[in-house]
Amino acid sequence: MSCMGRTVFIGLDGVPHGLLKRLADDGTMPHCRRLFEIGNLHCIASTIPDISSVAWSSIITGKNPAEHGIFGFVDIPINTYRISFPNYLSLKSKPFWEKSEGRSVILNVPSTFPVREMNGVHISGFVSLDLERSVYPPGLLSQVKALDYKVDVDAEKAHVSMDMFLSDLDKTLTARGKVCDHLWQHEKWDTFMIVFTGTDRLMHFLWDAYEDEEHWYYKAFRGHFSKVDAIVGSIIDRLNDNDILVMCSDHGMEHLDKNVYVNAILKEHGFLHYDPALKGGFANIDGRTKAFSLDPARIYLNKRGKFPRGCVAPNDEEKIIEDICELFQRYAVGGKAVCKAIYRKKEIFHGPFIDLAPDIVLIGNEGINLHSGLTAENTSEETIFSGKHTQHDAFLYVRGRDKCPSVKEGFNVSNIIGYIDSLKAERWR
Amino acid sequence: MKKGMHNKDCTCWSCPAINLAGKVDFRACGQSVEQIKKFQDEKGGGHIMAECRRRPELGLYDPMAITFQECPEWQDTEYGYLLKNMRVMILGIDGYLGWTLALWLGKLGCKVSGIDNYSRRNWVKERGTHTVVPIARMTERLHAAKEVLGIDIYFRELDVLDKVALTEFLKEVKPEAIVHYAECPSAPYSMIDFEHAKNVQSNNVIGTLSTLFAIHEAVPESTLIKLGTMGEYGAPLTGRPLFEGFFPADAVLKWQDKEWSLGGELTPRDPVSFYHISKVQDTFNVYEACKYWWLRSYDVMQGVIYGVHTDEVAADPRLRTRFDIDEWFGTIINRFVAQAIVGIPLTLYGAGEQIRGFIALEDAMQCITRLIAKPPEPGQYGVVNQMSGYYKLRELAETVAAIGKKSFGLDVQIQRVENPRVESERHPFNPIFSKLPDEFGFVQKDNIEQEVSRMFSLLLQPNIKSRIEEKRHLILPKTWWSGQKKEVERIELYK
Repeated sequence: MSCMGRTVFIGLDGVPHGLLKRLADDGTMPHCRRLFEIGNLHCIASTIPDISSVAWSSIITGKNPAEHGIFGFVDIPINTYRISFPNYLSLKSKPFWEKSEGRSVILNVPSTFPVREMNGVHISGFVSLDLERSVYPPGLLSQVKALDYKVDVDAEKAHVSMDMFLSDLDKTLTARGKVCDHLWQHEKWDTFMIVFTGTDRLMHFLWDAYEDEEHWYYKAFRGHFSKVDAIVGSIIDRLNDNDILVMCSDHGMEHLDKNVYVNAILKEHGFLHYDPALKGGFANIDGRTKAFSLDPARIYLNKRGKFPRGCVAPNDEEKIIEDICELFQRYAVGGKAVCKAIYRKKEIFHGPFIDLAPDIVLIGNEGINLHSGLTAENTSEETIFSGKHTQHDAFLYVRGRDKCPSVKEGFNVSNIIGYIDSLKAERWR
Repeated sequence: MKKGMHNKDCTCWSCPAINLAGKVDFRACGQSVEQIKKFQDEKGGGHIMAECRRRPELGLYDPMAITFQECPEWQDTEYGYLLKNMRVMILGIDGYLGWTLALWLGKLGCKVSGIDNYSRRNWVKERGTHTVVPIARMTERLHAAKEVLGIDIYFRELDVLDKVALTEFLKEVKPEAIVHYAECPSAPYSMIDFEHAKNVQSNNVIGTLSTLFAIHEAVPESTLIKLGTMGEYGAPLTGRPLFEGFFPADAVLKWQDKEWSLGGELTPRDPVSFYHISKVQDTFNVYEACKYWWLRSYDVMQGVIYGVHTDEVAADPRLRTRFDIDEWFGTIINRFVAQAIVGIPLTLYGAGEQIRGFIALEDAMQCITRLIAKPPEPGQYGVVNQMSGYYKLRELAETVAAIGKKSFGLDVQIQRVENPRVESERHPFNPIFSKLPDEFGFVQKDNIEQEVSRMFSLLLQPNIKSRIEEKRHLILPKTWWSGQKKEVERIELYK
């Protein structure tokens, strides 16, 4: 063991600061409550856009999206209208474990599939297409399989039966706990990172069960968080005093009232034209299109020279951006504005890959879930989901109250790795 | 449709070089492509992703986004875009069709592999007959293919019933298309006695089942092209159309003043021998496997095949494909030509008014290639009726006789004999066979007159003629569907 102490980094995907505090206070998560008494819990911001692939890429690299190159779960490569799905191979910056000298165990960090050679153990998180390419070193695969490990809950089950979904969620978490335990005991490490991702899945489907004590799944919702808390408890019980413990989430969550489809609005107002005679999806965007949106609410100008049927000339860009921003500032559904904030590229992105960044990013208002919805017939609709991401209300926790650098206003998830580095420097000076 | 480019709009969705994966368990949910696409777009997080094994640099992407026309791996050929160095495995590669297809695809640039356990050679030998066009041993065939045509064929002696070995071979080769010819193709052979019926059904039905399980385990993304037969449908006396496997959308069943749509349902099968029954059982096994495991298959309801020619088999005597003329394995036009050459009257069973669909060897090769070039979608069980025309058998006999007389100076007679089969001898026949020309760009190249002339030219070669003479006593049928073993009596002889 290093005399300088080890670093343990626990991620709770999508868990909001407010919810965590409440569940700690009401006894659902007693181990977290114990932790909060001996450390600092901060409310921080997520990335823009506030989705896991972008946020976790920023967390593990400490970089802005325009530095690590991940802007969403889907992307459209330049000169095409082909939807692609960026993964770990697309990440343009190194994660912290490839920059540190020590040995790391990295378990279930989203968007790190397929795994590659590193100093330690790496089991990727969602979206992982198969277990074979999710485990490094490959020799570990048989043990991981023997522990019934699976990367992610089968969220499709929730569309069939919530009971089936919850059962699968529980099995997935149990197996994750076993693998965590196995790696803790059998691997040598200086940094141990685990992310619990079932929390995000659960909150998407059952946020209403969190808020409503009469809800059929109220106990099941809290039961999952208690189980996560128990695994966290088993980790902290094994920590040494000089070990650094950091916990965080990648974004917040709140109740969802409506899906609102950005492309449907762009189409309604003449910014997007779609030719159904073409071959489908974004390939149907025709040459009159000025802008289109990718999930969750990233708007790209259909620029000449950038896309196959791009029509927007450089001199026209500013005016179109202005018009679109104005449209979404005033756009309301049921009397409620759909956007809480609207950002232009240069306000939020900086780095070598800024040309790949969206020109505008919209942040949905409370209860409004913004989606691409290219073929949606209506601009808004009800949905079976009851929780949606927020850019605000993510959390950061650091054990120990001494020698903690301050968390300044505007702190977001991409600052966490830098914060841990300064924490180490402070504690081990 | 532009000739040859029938598959230009196909996308990675149906490409066998693509791994499909995603958050939607589309293999189990039974949703149609359109529903999945809608789900992907509107619900978010439910994307299906493509991962190209040939172009890993593309990463993960929307499987509908790239067409064959746009993909550099799909190259322009006479028969549509074809995957560069496409790996095609032929089950039953030593047979009449299998060997011809191996050379044909090899010449087109495919990487051909195949299995055979020489059953066909053994069945023919067991009946005391032989292929009248001499064929080389497999080692010599492979050597000649390399020497004459520059084609490398990867062969393994293997029984299709050996599921474990077949699975291993599939895992090793990873074919992108599999053409399944490894069946006993003879109705009379299946009617000899119990042992023969059992062997035909076991080889065909269990062999196909073994193939399906092996594909499921080893290469589920590969296309299975399975040889069926037009004989599965029988010849309904009502004259109702013989659709291509399924009823069309507007087909209706009317009964007792009520109507039901039949659209999309499998059409009735009415097999006419234990062999044909094995093919019908295959149909259901393949159909269900596509449903259960999202395999992709075309079932090819082939008309009666005839002919000797492709450029490749004609390139060298060692490359010739087999040609059988006996009562068990000789197909009717092939048999007529052999009879004409050795002075046996062309033999019709019963009235000779039976109508059948036909296709020439070279045209059949074109059809299979076009099917390979336009793979079915995941889970799709497609059926095509593969024939280029249909004729009364009596008219065919007259055509062969006329060519024999006019072009080759032969004195050809025609006879009607007792019909050893149980079948309709006068019936309407209304086959639908528009899919191959309309959807796959098939254009008939070979007409009967041209191919029959080629057959006469080849079979009149002295060494081949003498091989026909040797087995002339095995041409007329002695296998009765009733179980009797006796010679048929002549009903009528005419010129």
